Amino acid sequence: MRYLSWVYLLALFTFILLPVVTLVVFSFQDGRLPVPPFKGVTFEWYAKVLSDRAMMEALFNSLIVALLSSLCALTLGFLAASGLARVILPGSALMRGALIAPMTVSYLIIALGLLQMFNQIGLRPSLLATGIGHVVINLPLCFAIIYAAIGEHQKSALKAARDLGAREWQVLWLVAAPMLMPSLAAAFFLAFTFSWDEFIIAFLLTRFDVTLPVEIWSMLRSGLSPETNAVGSLVFLVSIAIVVVLELTLFRKGSK
Amino acid sequence: MSIEAQEKRQGVALVTPALLWTLVFFAVPFGAMALMSLAHLEGREIVQGHDLGNYLRIFTDPSLRRGIFVSLEITATVTVISVLLAWPLAWIIATRVPQRWRRMVLLLAVLPFWTSYVVRSYSWALVLGEKGVVMNALVGLGLLAEPVQIMATRAATVTGFVHFFVMLLTLTIYSNLIQLSPNYARAAQDLGASQWQVIRLVILPLTLPGVMTGAFLTFVLCIGDYITPQILGGNNELTLPQLIMLQLGRRGDYPMASALSIVLMAIVTLAYAASARWLKMERV
Amino acid sequence: MTADVHINAVEHRFNSFTALHRVDLEIAAGEFIVLLGPSGCGKTTLLSIIGGFYTPSEGQVLIGGKDMTHVGPKDRPTTTMFQDYALFPHMTLCDNVAFGLRMRGMSKVARSEKAMEMLDMVGLADKAGRKPHELSGGQRQRVALARALAVEPDVLLLDEPLGALDLKLRRQMQDELKAIQRRVGTTFVHVTHDQEEAMAIADRIVVMNHGRIEHCGTPEEVYLTPKTLFSANFMGEMNRIPVSAAGASPLGQLDVPAGEGLLCLRPENIGLEGQFSLGPARLTEASFFGAHHRCHFTPVNAPDLTLVAHLPQGAYPQVGAEVELFGRDPVILPPAMTEAA
Repeated sequence: MRYLSWVYLLALFTFILLPVVTLVVFSFQDGRLPVPPFKGVTFEWYAKVLSDRAMMEALFNSLIVALLSSLCALTLGFLAASGLARVILPGSALMRGALIAPMTVSYLIIALGLLQMFNQIGLRPSLLATGIGHVVINLPLCFAIIYAAIGEHQKSALKAARDLGAREWQVLWLVAAPMLMPSLAAAFFLAFTFSWDEFIIAFLLTRFDVTLPVEIWSMLRSGLSPETNAVGSLVFLVSIAIVVVLELTLFRKGSK
Repeated sequence: MSIEAQEKRQGVALVTPALLWTLVFFAVPFGAMALMSLAHLEGREIVQGHDLGNYLRIFTDPSLRRGIFVSLEITATVTVISVLLAWPLAWIIATRVPQRWRRMVLLLAVLPFWTSYVVRSYSWALVLGEKGVVMNALVGLGLLAEPVQIMATRAATVTGFVHFFVMLLTLTIYSNLIQLSPNYARAAQDLGASQWQVIRLVILPLTLPGVMTGAFLTFVLCIGDYITPQILGGNNELTLPQLIMLQLGRRGDYPMASALSIVLMAIVTLAYAASARWLKMERV
Repeated sequence: MTADVHINAVEHRFNSFTALHRVDLEIAAGEFIVLLGPSGCGKTTLLSIIGGFYTPSEGQVLIGGKDMTHVGPKDRPTTTMFQDYALFPHMTLCDNVAFGLRMRGMSKVARSEKAMEMLDMVGLADKAGRKPHELSGGQRQRVALARALAVEPDVLLLDEPLGALDLKLRRQMQDELKAIQRRVGTTFVHVTHDQEEAMAIADRIVVMNHGRIEHCGTPEEVYLTPKTLFSANFMGEMNRIPVSAAGASPLGQLDVPAGEGLLCLRPENIGLEGQFSLGPARLTEASFFGAHHRCHFTPVNAPDLTLVAHLPQGAYPQVGAEVELFGRDPVILPPAMTEAA
């Protein structure tokens, strides 16, 4: 049984890591095709990617869209969660349901609906349109995370703040936000990741200025190339670097 | 005005922006799409209508109807294989791997999450291609006389999906497993259960609600995904999302794309209705 | 700094459930009032109405003579000390205590000074820079008290503040609460379900049940001369013997004041000597409680009844022995007062 466990673990890890390892290894391929045999190490492809203007622009666009849309989703979600946690309104359950609903719908359907509406009202496919779509998918997530974090204890602290004379904005800014900081950070981080990696909404709702996943997608059309490997490896390394930094700073501090 | 009424007004004021956003950018587009699904295309013009012609076509036109079955078959296959592969992995990490290595091993198990979704599918295309690593190894070891075509088949799509969802399910099942008190297993062993019986009669049933939730998530994400089947499966057989994109791209047939989307959503809703009841019963 | 509170015919309903039935209560300035009763009796609802968290369905709340019925908690001269203390986890003790003053626009220097003064009063001045999670339960409770008192409210409302503490700490905190109340002179309205706590700290106890006030009086009055069977039982153990107007009872003819109803006797008021005889009884069970022996007697004349008596340390008859029991300080509740229980 013990022996079998390790064999299984090894097999599954091979399966899980094989594509990533292949991706990274062949990003150094000194040749035109990222497939065996491995012909030697070159950094040519990385140089090409980093000097690729369209790619760098897409990267920048992705950052902006992810940052702004997650901030927007976070703010809306935070306000809604504080409001619904504050009083039991008639239809509270319905409102919660309505706010969570987009989470159960495929991104493709959300994108298609937005595309048709934007066509109707004359809003051109753009980063703004994409950002709006990303807020739609991330708002339920932010709301759910923050709402779940407001327990009886938090509610009574908010009540105490009002009792001591705080105005509503002071309650939110001085007590609720700092008190819920760990979940706000988690919600923001998740929303950012989802927006950063989102393809189908961005694909349908952008045209000239595109985000990184869409730019990578258009690279795929030209078939397998070590350059695509290099882009993928870079995204991978940057993501891991961010995770490690977060792990060492934010979460370590939070867990103390 | 009573104090409660003031409180309610403030509560409503806080919820309103988010509700408005959801209404304007989710409910309204969705309604517009539902309406659009009743229209049809004449030449390149969209003609508003109120008939179910598109839906009728989806269930009669063989190429469209096939899409529903292809999507369902792929999704079901992926969900089952992923659960079967992920459970033992999560169990091994939770119980066999020494405590101090556990976090490390878990991080390694989900490492590919950190590549972008598009790149992940691309890297499978790299691995599974005719000249890819797998075929090279199999032919090199003499296990195959010549490369077999995997790319642009359903097998490639399923492999790409399973890769992603094994990671996702391993995470959810693992977090489920470590929350279980070790005393369950101890009590069962104490009463004479073998290790296999402990897993089958105690641990497995206890993780079932978590597994069901993970499986449902897999189902929803898998059936709605466009990238993986498009990159790995090619155009031999088309899933629902591929069909939707095809309607948009080739002919600008928004009405048909909308109708297909509604069908896709209906399938997800049905799956939810089916599994939600089951889940609740399990949690009691 | 202190004010009286008038509750005039306050009724409160949650949908179809009536939590308070036309409650009237006068609280004098500087008084320490305890609302006592089992969970669901309406005591917390009444406290929330005084604090401004609910508007009563009917009736009026006057604080310091002003109508506060429709004024929110923010603008009332009351502060509440919550059951779970509701300290702000991200702020230091000093910032927690200074919060209310900050909301009132006090300068940073002035409010820190005042906060330190308050922390000093509760004996936590040396921990001003700590965060709430670094404190013990009793210390958190003190910080919550300091925070609520820092804004110098006229009325302090305490919602089961000692509920989460262990018994020993609880007794100690009761004494401190009482001392601090004497010092600041603020009106305290304190909610609890622990009758010992109520007796230890209250100037007056308000016994509540099913949304009504059963009895309102000093601890002595409430304990010794209960007005209803409910408050008699809630304040402590009670022997109940039905008596007729002429003094006839299952135990035989009793020499008690005239009146039909239930004769109520506390266990410590039954003994081997006293004001009137309860007839012969057999000791069936006894256990030693330190200060007294708790004894179960079966009256010879009424074998279905059990009388519980606390006998002094020295006097302890053998189980099975037959003795004559006597009663003291009888309270006879007329039938109308014994229904609600």
